[in-house]
Amino acid sequence: MSKPNHLFSILYSQNPMKPRWRKVFLDLIENKARTLLVVLSIAVGVFSIGVISGAYVIISNDMSASYAANNPANIELRMADFNDDVLTSVRNMPGIANAEGRRVFSIRARPVNSTTWTMIDLVALNDFAANKVDLLTPVAGNGDPARRQVILEKDALKNLNVSVGDQLEFELPDGTTKTMPVVGIVQDPTTGAGDFLAPPFGYISMNTLENLQQPDLYNRIYATVSSGQDDAVHISNVAGDVKDRLVRSGIPVNRTRTSKTHEHPLASTVNAILGILLALGILIVFLSSSLIANTLNALLNQHLRYIGVMKLVGGRNRQILIMYLALIVSFGVLALLIAVPLGGQAAYGLAAFIASELRFNLLGYRLVPIAFAIQIAIGILVPLVAGLVPVMNGSKVTVLKAISGDLARAEGRPLHRGPKRESAWEKFQTRVTVALSHRGIHIPRPLLISLRNTFRRRGRLMLTLFTLTMGGAIFIAVFNVRVTLHDYIGAIGNYFKADVELDFTQPYRTHEIQQYAMQIPGVQRVEGWQGLSADLLYPNGSTIDTINIVAPPANSAMVQPILVSGRWIEASDERKLTISESVLPYYPDLKPGDFLPLKINGRTEQWQVVGIFQFVGQEGILGYAPLEYVEQANDLANQSTSFHIETVRHDRAYQNQMADTLDKYFRTHGFNVLQSQAGLASLDNASQSLDTLVTFLLIMALLTATVGSMGLAGTMGMNVLERTREIGIMRAIGAVDGIIMRTVIAEGMVIGLISFGLAIILSVPFTYLLSYIVSLAVFETPIQTVFTITGYLIWLTLILIMSAVASILPARNAARLTIREVLAYE
Amino acid sequence: MAAVVSPIIELQNVTKVYSTEAGDFNALNGINLRVDEGEFLGIVGKSGAGKSTLLNMITGVDHLTHGEVIVRGNGEDISVHKLDEDALALWRGQTLGIIFQSFQLLPMLTLIENVMMPIDLCGAYRARPSRERAMELLSLVELEDHASKLPAYISGGQQQRVAIARALANDPPILVADEPTGSLDSVTADHIFDVFEHLVDERGKTIVMVTHDNSLGPRFTRHVQIADGELTDLTGPAQKPRKHALSHRAAKSQRSFGERTQSAAEAKVEGKRMK
Amino acid sequence: MTTPHSTPETDSIKVASSHPDDMIRLHGVVKTYKNAAGEFKVLKGLDLTIRRGEFVAIVGKSGSGKSTLLNMITGIDHPTGGQVVVNGTDIYSITESQRSLWRGRNLGIVFQFFQLLPMLTLLENVMLPMDYVDLYDFDERPARAMELLEMVGLKEQAHKLPLAVSTGQQQMTAIARALATDAPLLVADEPTGNLDSKTANHMIDVFDQLVRRGKTIVMVTHDPSLASRISRTIIIADGELIDETVVKALPLLRHRHMLEITKKARQVTVQPGEVILDCGQPVDNLYMIASGSVDVMLADGKHGKLLAHLKAGELFGEIELLRGGKAIASVRAGHHHPVELLTFPREDFLRIIEESPITAEALGKIVQDRLEEHRVKSREEREERRKM
Repeated sequence: MSKPNHLFSILYSQNPMKPRWRKVFLDLIENKARTLLVVLSIAVGVFSIGVISGAYVIISNDMSASYAANNPANIELRMADFNDDVLTSVRNMPGIANAEGRRVFSIRARPVNSTTWTMIDLVALNDFAANKVDLLTPVAGNGDPARRQVILEKDALKNLNVSVGDQLEFELPDGTTKTMPVVGIVQDPTTGAGDFLAPPFGYISMNTLENLQQPDLYNRIYATVSSGQDDAVHISNVAGDVKDRLVRSGIPVNRTRTSKTHEHPLASTVNAILGILLALGILIVFLSSSLIANTLNALLNQHLRYIGVMKLVGGRNRQILIMYLALIVSFGVLALLIAVPLGGQAAYGLAAFIASELRFNLLGYRLVPIAFAIQIAIGILVPLVAGLVPVMNGSKVTVLKAISGDLARAEGRPLHRGPKRESAWEKFQTRVTVALSHRGIHIPRPLLISLRNTFRRRGRLMLTLFTLTMGGAIFIAVFNVRVTLHDYIGAIGNYFKADVELDFTQPYRTHEIQQYAMQIPGVQRVEGWQGLSADLLYPNGSTIDTINIVAPPANSAMVQPILVSGRWIEASDERKLTISESVLPYYPDLKPGDFLPLKINGRTEQWQVVGIFQFVGQEGILGYAPLEYVEQANDLANQSTSFHIETVRHDRAYQNQMADTLDKYFRTHGFNVLQSQAGLASLDNASQSLDTLVTFLLIMALLTATVGSMGLAGTMGMNVLERTREIGIMRAIGAVDGIIMRTVIAEGMVIGLISFGLAIILSVPFTYLLSYIVSLAVFETPIQTVFTITGYLIWLTLILIMSAVASILPARNAARLTIREVLAYE
Repeated sequence: MAAVVSPIIELQNVTKVYSTEAGDFNALNGINLRVDEGEFLGIVGKSGAGKSTLLNMITGVDHLTHGEVIVRGNGEDISVHKLDEDALALWRGQTLGIIFQSFQLLPMLTLIENVMMPIDLCGAYRARPSRERAMELLSLVELEDHASKLPAYISGGQQQRVAIARALANDPPILVADEPTGSLDSVTADHIFDVFEHLVDERGKTIVMVTHDNSLGPRFTRHVQIADGELTDLTGPAQKPRKHALSHRAAKSQRSFGERTQSAAEAKVEGKRMK
Repeated sequence: MTTPHSTPETDSIKVASSHPDDMIRLHGVVKTYKNAAGEFKVLKGLDLTIRRGEFVAIVGKSGSGKSTLLNMITGIDHPTGGQVVVNGTDIYSITESQRSLWRGRNLGIVFQFFQLLPMLTLLENVMLPMDYVDLYDFDERPARAMELLEMVGLKEQAHKLPLAVSTGQQQMTAIARALATDAPLLVADEPTGNLDSKTANHMIDVFDQLVRRGKTIVMVTHDPSLASRISRTIIIADGELIDETVVKALPLLRHRHMLEITKKARQVTVQPGEVILDCGQPVDNLYMIASGSVDVMLADGKHGKLLAHLKAGELFGEIELLRGGKAIASVRAGHHHPVELLTFPREDFLRIIEESPITAEALGKIVQDRLEEHRVKSREEREERRKM
């Protein structure tokens, strides 16, 4: 009972609210804990839906708009070095609107005074002022670097701690260094947009190339098409045509890449991930609605007598129904007041985070009307729907039933009612106890009370279990998905088992490199690898995509493929390859033994597939063929530009150390080293961006868990409230505070443990479903699902803590009740 | 027998049977009862005798098994048992004021809001006049100074007086009271009776009250005994002339005044307006 | 014994030094409820002693304070003032939680609404107090609980849930539960309130049996027919206890009137053999015997023929008060013990009698009987004298 409140009397004297609306208002503020619980549980659902739908709308609009605003290239061609003549010819090819030539190369850079090298891609442009394709947006400083100046992409600042005016040191192929000032910062939303794992970019003008010991030649073309910029087929045709023409004129094209103007290459991936989050948000709304139903059920039970009284003084069903519906709407409105502003902010925050991760610009802060509309609809409708049944039942109750407690007292209620029959469940419970005691297992009565209390309000128990189980299953599934993703990354590692990858700018004899490398202590094995770039064709001869054929020695231990069918490569294989599963969308019925048409160096060849492996890799189709064959085809026998080195230890620190040692060693011996990388370096980036995704999932899982524990706290509170009298009896027959608290807490724990058991079961399909969706979104292929005990253990701990915490407050209240108060409840 | 007085409540052969697993139980057994306008009727019986069930028949709270209950509300005869739940609620709100042993005020509302509730639900007065009317009723029961208190902060006797004020909110011709003094000490109970008597004598209300306290008999204009679901000791209506009853009661309230002064808590709000 | 008239101040200091025969001792217990409307004294300074082995009924109307009184004894409510010692413990000097444990071991409570825990079977309900206060070996508890259920005739129902048995059986289970810890004191609040008379009588039989085994039972009831089966009745009215002598002497009066008599009556002690009333003397009081006995003699108090021997709880002087005459016989204190009397003034008595027709009728009957006896004895005496 609240104290007579000054505020109320002011409210009351100035606003002659009708008594029934006053009652609704006072019901709302009477039990603040209950109101808070309901409001928060609605708010959590509304909030998460608001955040995700808002972010979805902002991102799906801004991501592509920002991308399109920078006039992205529809076609990217990676080629051998070429000059302006070639570029001009491409510009004049049919279907091409605009084409720019650039030179892109990897180089190590560090701020002066720093010791850490960072690998960046430097992009050389001819004329920054005439930039038409893949526009750069100036952020700070000068957007047009002069000779021996460099500008950086905004994202590069994460790796390089510099600002405009600082000097950046570059490592040249001959091992010397060159220092250049950073004169500007730009944003480049288009270059590398399709790649989660793109390296940081820097930009120079073409006339700076010679200072960095690079030829003054292009190696890439970025082109736009003149029509059908959003027609993937058309773009692909134009690209194929351009490539054919170039190859015919003797300019090899290593790789082509096409994309639409008005669709960010990662849009579908991001949308898929937001879709998963949205599904979780909807689930939270469901869970919170079951909490609402529970609370309203209990509230209506407590109010039965008031309803009876109101009916006795003339209240009709409809009036009472409307009063309680108004109460529900008030809950919803309060929840909206909390959730809508927060949701609007967080939606933009989430969008901004994703935007910065994917290097695109938002079109500015804004609120999303449609997200608000969704939130309002959910905040009002979901509680109404959840509360409708209890409220309808409550308002329909007959006066006799509603006030029977009172009248029965005067009239000797039990005289009218004989003994009832025990329900099947009750019989089952008591029989089990008796059977156990016959076997010598005696459950102490206080524990028995907790156990049987658990199952007394079965409807309420079901709803609570549903909420907790869902929360738990998702929580566990998220952990499993996390491990699944990492496991998959680990599987990728099987294809790159080298501890150090040493790349040179020109081919060297394998034997020579081996001899040098073996001088260094710790080096165990050195393999020279080669590669082939080919086009995979449809049977009719049209190009599907580029296929990269990696050529390790057939007996290499540095690749451990996961074969789906067929066999691995053999040294004697000629025009035979094992190919990744990613070919299957184009050749669904492909089996080992089948032939695939490949176009290599302009010639179409029939290659036999000997095996299909699971992969792995962000993009494109990959194949393996034995070095023994490829080096002949490449006419580079016993030579290689890329060497895979195995060391005695395989930990990250040792690999880094060895990479540095090898780098220096070969440079000092006059080799043209491009880069020397620790074996799993690229995988770190992958894991990081996956962890971002997992974090989002985990936040959603925690939200569901929060709703679950609120549900449990609500249930325990309601249970205790309803059993106040029983608690009084327990006291009257000798139960001390501790026993009463234990009785209540044990009940909460039992509910928690049951939900854990159910969550274990439910987490299995959830894990499969979630990892299927996530892997499709991220890797565009389903991956092997892996389970981990971690999620289960963390959830078990959490659920035990949550159930204890959720029951401690009600338990303390229960223990505080004096018997007099309790028996006055009659 | 005064033939001009018409019955305001008439029960004809009212039977109520409860079915239990142990068999049928007749809570009421062919009750015939006539209550005239302006009567203060006591129904006296032990617990389990069926007196509350009888009351529930008059208020339409419970359904009868056989028989007929006719209540003349505002000029028309209503067969209570033929109304549906909603119609009953409205009819009850306008025709009957109901008073319980345990007061049954809504704890979250102030006294005046409790009194306004029936007016609100039955829509008899607009918000402003309904507040004024509620205030009048509270001053009738001498609680106008407490109008904006919550029920928990006044005494049981005062709560019961608020309940009476609430019962009068829609100016119903009939009041029905179920052990209204059952939870009160004797002095406070006396005062409640004073209020009832005032309502019968000065405002022409008809009151039907149920009690288990035999000794209250003389305070009614008529009382009937109920036992085992049957009325015994049933005398004709208006068995005591009202004049006599009035003087008897007047004498009584004189005495209770003397006693009342002993009760410090109640003393200051007692007795001004009742005469 | 109630001592409504003189309470030595010094008594209230004694704590556990109450008489070892005392099971319950209340000293100046006051209970006041406060709210915005003012203070309500529900108990107005009660003194009460209940001995071990007594079977006491506390009777009162609703609102009289009887449940509050019971709550004081069980430690369920707190007194505003005064002291409650039960079974040697000053129960309001310990914490609520300690009191729970104390209650479990020292008293069994039986409520009007049975108050069994609905999720436990009858047997489990009976075992529960043993679990709570940790009495008896864990493995011994089921057997003991079964014994208790057998005692109240419910062995067959032991594994049923409360809702599956009749209300009478539920109440019997509640009694078995109250006995589970073998507490010396059993407190029952309207235990028969919801039972039919047959079951109620059965319960009183069980109570009688328990009292014979040495238990003390305090039972609140408003059913006068039950009170008659109980050795001692304490009436509470408007927060005060009515003198037990008044209750015995004028049992049919309304509680309000009893209370008035309790308050206005004076206590008089008369030495053995002393004359209280002389024949022919005007009588201005009603006399009620609190303890001891008196002899009623014809004519003068020293030599007259013995007319009647009146014991505690009886009254005299009513004939003269009702008929307005002088004493028609002499009354003398018994020879062996002093007599404690309560005297009540004539005018008040007459007013009360006028308001209480039932008592008037009952007294009229006593008067008639006594007058008849007086006439017979007088005639006998006259005849004896004539013979002499």
